[in-house]
Amino acid sequence: MATGEYILKVTDLTHRVDLGHDTLTILHDVNLTVMAGQSVAIVGRSGSGKTTLLGLLAGLDTPSDGQIELDGQVISQLGEDQRAALRAQRVGFVFQSFQLLPALTALENVMLPLELAGQKEAASQATELLQRVGLGDRLTHTPRQLSGGEQQRVAIARAFAARPKILFADEPTGNLDNNTGQTVSDLLMALNREQGTTLIMVTHDEHLAARCERQFSIEAGVLTEPASQPVDNPPPRTAQQEAL
Amino acid sequence: MNQASGRLSSVRRDWRERDVRVLIAALVVAVATVATIALFASHLQRTLVSSASAFLAADRQLESENGQPIPQAWRDKATERGLEVARMVEFSTMVYGNDNFQLVAVKAVSEGYPLRGEIEYQASADSPREMRSAGPGHGDVWLNPRLLRLLDVTIGDSIEVGNLELTVSGLLIREPDGGFSMSALAPKIMMNAADVAATGVLQVGSRVEYVNLFAGEEAALDDFYAEVKPDFSPSHEWKSVDDGEALSGSLQRARRFLLLGGSLAVLLASVAVAVAARQYAVGQRDTVALLKTLGVRGQRIGRLYLSRLMIWGVAGTLAGVVIALPAFWGLASLTARLLERPVDYSIDWFALTPALVTALVSMMAFAYPPLQRLRSVPAMRVLRSEPGESGTGIVRDGLIALIAIFGLIWLYAGELGLVLSLLGGLAALLAVLALLGWAMVLLLRRVVGGGNAWRLALVGLYRHRKASLSQIAVFSMTLMLAATLLLIRSSLLDDWQAQLPDDAPNHFLINIAPDAVDDVEQFLAKNDLAKEAIYPMVRGRLTELNNEPVKQAVSKDREVRALNRELNLTWMNSLPADNTIVSGEWFEPGQTEGVSIESQLADRMGVKVGDVLGFTIGSQKIEQPVTSIRTVQWDSMRPNFYLAFPEGGGLTGLPATWITSFYLGEDQKLLLNDFTREFPTVSVLEVDHIIDRIREIVVQVTQAIEAILIMILAAAVVVMAAVVSATLQDRQREGALLRTLGGRQSLLVRSTMLEFALLGFFAGLLGVVAAEVAVWALQYRMFQGEFQWHFRIVATLPLISAAVLSVFGYWQLQPVLKVSPMLLLRRLE
Repeated sequence: MATGEYILKVTDLTHRVDLGHDTLTILHDVNLTVMAGQSVAIVGRSGSGKTTLLGLLAGLDTPSDGQIELDGQVISQLGEDQRAALRAQRVGFVFQSFQLLPALTALENVMLPLELAGQKEAASQATELLQRVGLGDRLTHTPRQLSGGEQQRVAIARAFAARPKILFADEPTGNLDNNTGQTVSDLLMALNREQGTTLIMVTHDEHLAARCERQFSIEAGVLTEPASQPVDNPPPRTAQQEAL
Repeated sequence: MNQASGRLSSVRRDWRERDVRVLIAALVVAVATVATIALFASHLQRTLVSSASAFLAADRQLESENGQPIPQAWRDKATERGLEVARMVEFSTMVYGNDNFQLVAVKAVSEGYPLRGEIEYQASADSPREMRSAGPGHGDVWLNPRLLRLLDVTIGDSIEVGNLELTVSGLLIREPDGGFSMSALAPKIMMNAADVAATGVLQVGSRVEYVNLFAGEEAALDDFYAEVKPDFSPSHEWKSVDDGEALSGSLQRARRFLLLGGSLAVLLASVAVAVAARQYAVGQRDTVALLKTLGVRGQRIGRLYLSRLMIWGVAGTLAGVVIALPAFWGLASLTARLLERPVDYSIDWFALTPALVTALVSMMAFAYPPLQRLRSVPAMRVLRSEPGESGTGIVRDGLIALIAIFGLIWLYAGELGLVLSLLGGLAALLAVLALLGWAMVLLLRRVVGGGNAWRLALVGLYRHRKASLSQIAVFSMTLMLAATLLLIRSSLLDDWQAQLPDDAPNHFLINIAPDAVDDVEQFLAKNDLAKEAIYPMVRGRLTELNNEPVKQAVSKDREVRALNRELNLTWMNSLPADNTIVSGEWFEPGQTEGVSIESQLADRMGVKVGDVLGFTIGSQKIEQPVTSIRTVQWDSMRPNFYLAFPEGGGLTGLPATWITSFYLGEDQKLLLNDFTREFPTVSVLEVDHIIDRIREIVVQVTQAIEAILIMILAAAVVVMAAVVSATLQDRQREGALLRTLGGRQSLLVRSTMLEFALLGFFAGLLGVVAAEVAVWALQYRMFQGEFQWHFRIVATLPLISAAVLSVFGYWQLQPVLKVSPMLLLRRLE
């Protein structure tokens, strides 16, 4: 499981939003360390701050206070373009609403990150991945012509296309029915294992969370690790950090 | 009440929708542009007519050339319609004064003359020139200054005209309708029409021209004409300002340009409305599906959107008119200032009709069809989005739009040629576009993306090939329309400039006796006056066509005025520079047979190369075959002739006088005195005032053209902005996602700007080439100018459009660059 080296380390992370007349604190002093190759679930209700946390961890936004170290780089100190470069090389995303570009075919959607990384063999690599997620015969279909589950499989193929070291998933099965959700999460876990990727997933689905090695829960911006256990035989585990 | 407030709130809701705002903005631009152009065109027309009416001394003239006076009853009818009326009688006669006889051209004018313009008059040779608005009184006569010398009389002396003695009470310098007609060879005198009978000069069979002058409201003039026209005989001729040869070309071209400008505005506006409505309809599909699940029936949905459309239509039209009025007033005061005239702010409300029709048609033909089709959106859409719309609906929309555009332009310009040229240009454009699209898909498919902005831009073009192609289509169409106007404007102005250069001849010398030709040439050379070629002139009638009397040979329903009067015939060896042979061959050196005829006269008579024309010159008859047909630039201010013979040809041995023209600057006017002293029998025709008038009109028209061009370009930018903003949301989503996936800001900015620049470049290139095609067709058919490639515009327009579009691209990307991609993705979900 753990390689002994952490890939993500969060120290005293606080995030506030200025509402003009008031300031809303969305995240309170979050501390978290994730080892390379681990799979981590963050479970919480709507509005608990879990998606904001995911965005900050991925460097999509910068926190009000605290420090985030991703694969050896302190991303809270990087400029926008440096963070973009970091994402292009090491980070993958899966979104609840898939976020496929409607004008592009499945193949073109998967090619996007490869092209951004300047890869010459983008088309053949993307084709291979789509075949891997079972959509080899849907390469030229646009998102409108695909079902929700199929769209999310394209999104998963896109997320793994650039062989990221760490993958962030935001409610990957939130818009899908149980069966489809099951297929999609199987695929996500399988690819994660095959590529040895670190997975950080935000969800409110306890079943999906249970398939991760570690589970955290977040409530009102406070992160706790109540009973983090491996999927097959979960041993009791101490929360690495206690919330305030 | 409830319904009304409900409707109001739905309008407020609509207003929050970007597509509705774009649609209304497009309509506002459409109505404002068309209304401003139409108002200004109508205003310009009025100003032009009033400044040109002076050429007729009236708004209309009715001439009778058969020696019969025009019935009093007709004048009475005109008076009943509230028109101002005046009379003129024109004839030639010998006058006697101080023991000298002289042939003069008499112009006898009634009270009221001139109805338009003023007479330039001098109380004596030493007095200043003054402007008068009435002719001589009873018993008075005004003489051409030259006659003072020819008759050796002074102011206050008497001269005899037939049986009547008249007192010379002033000098006639120039009358407004003196115009420029070569029949006025003899020096002119002006007297009162009431004195004509007492002269006893006019007998049955005398050569005399009776002219009635009319002025007043256009509508009344038209009604009057319609009423008396059935009683006209072939020798009656109704003349309006447009018929004046010197001016007609410039006026016609100006009017056509305004019409063209208006039509382009209509086209552009339609494109903008259609794009915005389509976009709105696409965005409304989910709403409609939801309404259907809530139980609203298709018909009611149709009515709902129709009533919204009507509200937007009324709002857009009102706003458009509100913008158009001050814009028009601004333009009107600008021209007024340039021409140093009082501003005429009055509004011709009728001129708003095209704008209202445009609003109605663009709403019903361009905006309604996509909204109407919303009725058929399946309720299932709520559960699952169906792929795009069916193709048949789009084809039908396209057909409706095409017919509507065709109808609108036809209605607006009333010229089939114009409509066909424009639509031909557009069709050519779309054909090339289809070809380009195919080539683009083929070429760009091979480009593989990468971290480099160029590659990303090219890949972007390929990825969005549908949107790219339709954007190129709209942009290139827009640019084509704007470029057409730009190109026509340049060639129109160049044309005018070339036709009337600063040193265009402004004085004619007529009646030069053969033995004085050398002396006149020497006089001109001595004083450094550049003269045009000098031509002989023989007066004669065209009497036979292919050995048949010409009035029988030429079909009755063709009124050919030239056949009713003596023509000036000439001989020349070389073709004047501004004449062009359209059929047959110009005379070979040494050729003595043949005659060359002017093309419009040939058309009216139905004469072809090879036909034989018979002329009566004095008591002699000659016959010559037509060997060529040529066009003549009537407003060039050079001697022009309907019929030209080769030197040593048919006119040999016939009595001739000579004519030439030259340029004389304002500061050299005194030379004219020397000239008339040295050559008392030569008539000097001063046409500098006509040239000034034409220049004045050209200034007005140029202003109008510039203003309209600016408005069209503004409309074009609005259309392009509307089209670009239609894809705003997709672009932003894509930008946000690319940033999330690790695309750098600078890369995004560069590749997007490049992609738009490429779009703009292709659209500009296509548009300008299509514009050249349309201009070629228009120039050939409507403006009769020589077609030339406009390399500078062809080279620069694609670059300009690339620059403008890349700025649009940057502007679109702005929100993506400012906000964190996370927030943006959430907002766009």
